[in-house]
Amino acid sequence: MQNLSELMRRLIEAQVEFVLVGGFAAVAHGATLVTRDVDICCRFNEANLKRIQKALAGLRPVHRSRPDLPLALTPEPCASLKNLYLKTDLGIVDCLGDVLGVGDFESVFEHSLEVELPFGNCRILDLEALIRAKEAMNRDHDRMTVRQLKEIQRRQRQS
Amino acid sequence: MAEERQSDSTMREAATVWRPATDDDMDVSLLENSLARTPWERMQANDDALRFADSLRAAMVKRNAKP
Repeated sequence: MQNLSELMRRLIEAQVEFVLVGGFAAVAHGATLVTRDVDICCRFNEANLKRIQKALAGLRPVHRSRPDLPLALTPEPCASLKNLYLKTDLGIVDCLGDVLGVGDFESVFEHSLEVELPFGNCRILDLEALIRAKEAMNRDHDRMTVRQLKEIQRRQRQS
Repeated sequence: MAEERQSDSTMREAATVWRPATDDDMDVSLLENSLARTPWERMQANDDALRFADSLRAAMVKRNAKP
């Protein structure tokens, strides 16, 4: 069963160093378009990837392109990984090393803001950077999201 | 005649309510409803919508399944 909020809780409680990006970040900002996955930009080092593995333990995480391959990170692949596309019992988690239109983890982190959730704080890509990222992707649903995000931005500037 | 005038007036009122709600093809009332929530509540609303969509999809599959 899909439960993206629970995926967020697990990532935060496992102290994964990440910034929420993509559709779920747009939802957190107020967009009303429903999304089916959690996209995070994270530091791709062994310690952080192990935290991701710990966060998803018990949810039968597998690589989306190779569902026969369970997530079992060892130091060797950790060093060469740039992205990690995962499927779990609670939904899809895409772990990205960089975000189109924004840059690598450091740039993404710089353009993020902290949001308080019931189980801890979470960093979310800020509105301006999220709009840039969505514009760079430029798929149909990205364009719809951009329109909503720009309206949210306009209202924030007014208030 | 009076009824006709009343109906015209009702239609005009409905149109003025409807227009801002769908400004630029965007349902502004939905957006306002979302903005009144906290980020966590918005995330949970997304999950609720997903689960509802999945249950509808499952019901349709069941309905269309051959006996």
